[in-house]
Amino acid sequence: MRPDLDDLDDEIRGHMALSVKERIERGEDPEAARLAALKEFGNVTLTRDSMQGVWRHRWFESAEALGRDIRFAMRALMRVKGMAATVVVTLALGIGANAAVFSVVRGVLLRPLVNRDEDRLVYIRQSATGLGAGGENMTFSVPEINDLKSRATTISAFGDFSTVDLALIGLGGEPRMVKAGVVGGAFFDVMGLHPVLGRLLNAGDDGPKAEGAAVLTYRFWTTSLNSDPTVIGKTIRLGPRTAIVVGVLEPSVPYPADTEIIANIVTSPHHLGATMVTNRSHRMTELFGRLAPGTSVDAARAELTALYAAIVREHPEAYSKKANIQLTVKMLRDQIASPARTILLVLLAAAAVVFVIACSNVANLILARSVRREGELAVRAALGAGHGALRRTLLAESLVLCGAGAVLGVLLAQPLVSLVSRYAARFSIRALDVTVDASVLWVGASLAIAAAVLLAYVPRLPSPHAPAGLGLASGSVRITPGTNRRLRVFATIQVACSFVLLAGAGMLLATVVALQAANTGYNMRQVLAFDIPTPAPGVAAPQGDFYQETTRRVGRLPGVEGVALSMFVPWRDAGSFGPGPQFTVEGYTPADGEENPRARFRVVSPGFFAVLGVPMLAGRDFTDDDRSGGELVAIVSQSVAQRLFPNGEAVNRHMWWTDPYFGKPAPRRIVGIVGDVDDENIVRAPAQAIYQPVRQIGVAGRLFVRAAGDPYALVPAVTRAIREIAADQPVERAATLEDIRAEVLSPERLNAFVFSAFAGIALLIAVVGVAGVLAFSVSARTREFGVRLAIGSAPRQLLARVLGEGVGIAAIGIAAGAAGGYALARVAARFFTTVQLPGAVPVLGAAVVLICAAVIASLMPAARASHVDVVQALRSE
Amino acid sequence: MTKTSDAPRLELLQGTLDMLVLRTLQWGPRHGHGIGQAIRSQSDDLLKVETGSLYPALHRLVKRGWLKAEWGISEANQRARYYQLTAAGKAQLSVERDRWSQLVDAIGRVMNSASAIKE
Repeated sequence: MRPDLDDLDDEIRGHMALSVKERIERGEDPEAARLAALKEFGNVTLTRDSMQGVWRHRWFESAEALGRDIRFAMRALMRVKGMAATVVVTLALGIGANAAVFSVVRGVLLRPLVNRDEDRLVYIRQSATGLGAGGENMTFSVPEINDLKSRATTISAFGDFSTVDLALIGLGGEPRMVKAGVVGGAFFDVMGLHPVLGRLLNAGDDGPKAEGAAVLTYRFWTTSLNSDPTVIGKTIRLGPRTAIVVGVLEPSVPYPADTEIIANIVTSPHHLGATMVTNRSHRMTELFGRLAPGTSVDAARAELTALYAAIVREHPEAYSKKANIQLTVKMLRDQIASPARTILLVLLAAAAVVFVIACSNVANLILARSVRREGELAVRAALGAGHGALRRTLLAESLVLCGAGAVLGVLLAQPLVSLVSRYAARFSIRALDVTVDASVLWVGASLAIAAAVLLAYVPRLPSPHAPAGLGLASGSVRITPGTNRRLRVFATIQVACSFVLLAGAGMLLATVVALQAANTGYNMRQVLAFDIPTPAPGVAAPQGDFYQETTRRVGRLPGVEGVALSMFVPWRDAGSFGPGPQFTVEGYTPADGEENPRARFRVVSPGFFAVLGVPMLAGRDFTDDDRSGGELVAIVSQSVAQRLFPNGEAVNRHMWWTDPYFGKPAPRRIVGIVGDVDDENIVRAPAQAIYQPVRQIGVAGRLFVRAAGDPYALVPAVTRAIREIAADQPVERAATLEDIRAEVLSPERLNAFVFSAFAGIALLIAVVGVAGVLAFSVSARTREFGVRLAIGSAPRQLLARVLGEGVGIAAIGIAAGAAGGYALARVAARFFTTVQLPGAVPVLGAAVVLICAAVIASLMPAARASHVDVVQALRSE
Repeated sequence: MTKTSDAPRLELLQGTLDMLVLRTLQWGPRHGHGIGQAIRSQSDDLLKVETGSLYPALHRLVKRGWLKAEWGISEANQRARYYQLTAAGKAQLSVERDRWSQLVDAIGRVMNSASAIKE
């Protein structure tokens, strides 16, 4: 049925022959008749195409035509390599950033966990909603867990997990402190995890009579033990106990803590002690549950909340009214992802903004190009190309550009994913194992198609009503006010979006700068801190003597200016002792309804303040004579002295802890006052602290060494000196206070870095955009500038004029960005609690940067405008 | 290059070409050129069908099953494609003819109504 191409040609030839024959019969000259017949027939190819078209499916026809258009587009783009390259790179940045951020979002927020039936796994949390926003996670005590276990029906099994620090000896290498999880036998089954080697812990490992058993985490086994399979069955020492390595856990999200080993209860003496087992307020255990068959998480939440209310009523003493403790139940996967949600959504927004900037920049370039192509499009329209065909031509070109951009963007996404996931890992451990997957390709492809379609509709087609003659005749560029306006609108959008990103990045940078510049009150450079954790098993000598001996031996080392002990490394140990216990002093009565004041409880050795550079304001330092059996003494910080002894008579008065943790109140004489330092917070706040001498407490665990020269050069000697006293003593994490603070600051630095990177990309694209618009505008107005120069304008005036236009675009963009950013922040504040508006400095800074960028971007086109060759310009056109 | 006819020509109304083609084929097969000529002469040179519209229309009608085509030899001694009404084509012709007379009638009433004359 369907005729082939030869048939169609035959049919047309047949028609021609008949037409010619008829004319000749009417008496026309054969040659004239042939020409007339041809003329009468019209466009042979077009007719043949539409005859053929009748037989084709619509989509096939469009696809074939698009293929042809794409080949044409490639050839056309090869002629404008610079423009094509700019478009491709710009799009690649936009697409790459989006694809990378999206795969991390997908990996962290959307991917299921490896745990068996992870959609049945819930995390149960006890929050002190009365203490700070969001509610502090209180975890659970053993009696609480037992109550829930015995009463709940919606949870088929509970798993418990608590974290302890243990000295690990064995498995080769030096003795070292490891983070260990201590779990009940049900834990692994509830979590639905499997071993890669050996077995996991089970009910047989429960109870005080069981043999010590430990499971290694996959990370520890692969990184520290080189995946050694012979490790199974080996005996290790965990503090004072021993355990047998029974298996290696499969790779899984290390939640609630990233530990090296997970061991049974019997390995931790603390877990067998009376405090742990019977004290309802001794909370240190995380609780997980597996939903009973047929129950929903809502049902479990309802039941557990009701049970919990009953428990609280039965034991009012363990639940302070002020803390307003509440129980929540949520899916484990949501619990793991929740801290990362906000930051990832913000990242996603930043990436989307970069994409908008990239698209509007590309739209600019394509618009400018299409204006130059107006002549070509007019010719095509005159030759019979319909609107559809013209759009298809444009679409083909933008598809080629965007396709290339997407390919490059996906390649770019690869390294970006590892960067972003390392960054996001600070908020959710799940980000660590995010890899580039097929989703990147999908995101890249769909963004590219979105961009291509968008861009194909940017240029205006030649209107059928407009006189095409001019466009056909002159090959020169004529820029219409409409086009010019559109170009400027796109450039303004870029500036506006860049402004939002720049202001955001500026805000984060300002925070980091302020934090880094802050005075801490410590000698930061020369003081090395070591962890020499207690209890250190195998140390024969009593603790007090061990510290005494350590101080003596380390102090004798060459290059050591001072040695001191404490229980707390500033910032690194932040949060490990809670908000500080309550105390009172003689002669102080709290006002009605006011609680006793709180202060940080710190244990230090003589010389601590001198070594760390904290000034002694009054009284004396501790001495070696402040030991147990002697008079109880304390040193207070300036703010304690000022608050409780406003008349300055703190020294020689007495204070005592009222917190039940300290047992019977024992008055201590205040022997000195030291300056305020803040060892918890990076942003220094007035911190009340009370210090007690090591020799009246017996434990310390942190060593501070003040070095004369390079502090790190002392590390081997200090380690050696301590091992001479106690061979198994871990000596770890040597770092100067300066580096510790920098380490703690690194999330902020990383935040600022990531956002600065986004803002930098945005700025770069915006500069290219503004420069492109002006360059185009200048080249289209060569004649105008020629005339201006001819009638006496100074080149400098033209220069200023073009610069002014650039700055104008930037100014409008900044205003739009400021308004839009403010509105955006208002909207975001409804969804997130922690939305901050940047201060004046970052906003002004961003504005200045953008204006400068606009001036730089305008310089080249402006220079070109002022150097227009008058004669040439007037002759052209 | 002289024009064969300077008579004022009418634009074909949208959608009437198919009907005209079917009508010219009512009395037997013709090739494309012949169909064009028939429309022209039967309209006293008032209607002229562009080849660019005619041939795609013929193929379209074949595809719909209203015409069938066979190769033959034309008066010019060339291979030519002869078109012929099918049964479905005949039915379609009467449908289109009815619709057309309704349309002419309706438009006529509007154009000749009393109020339009007063205008």
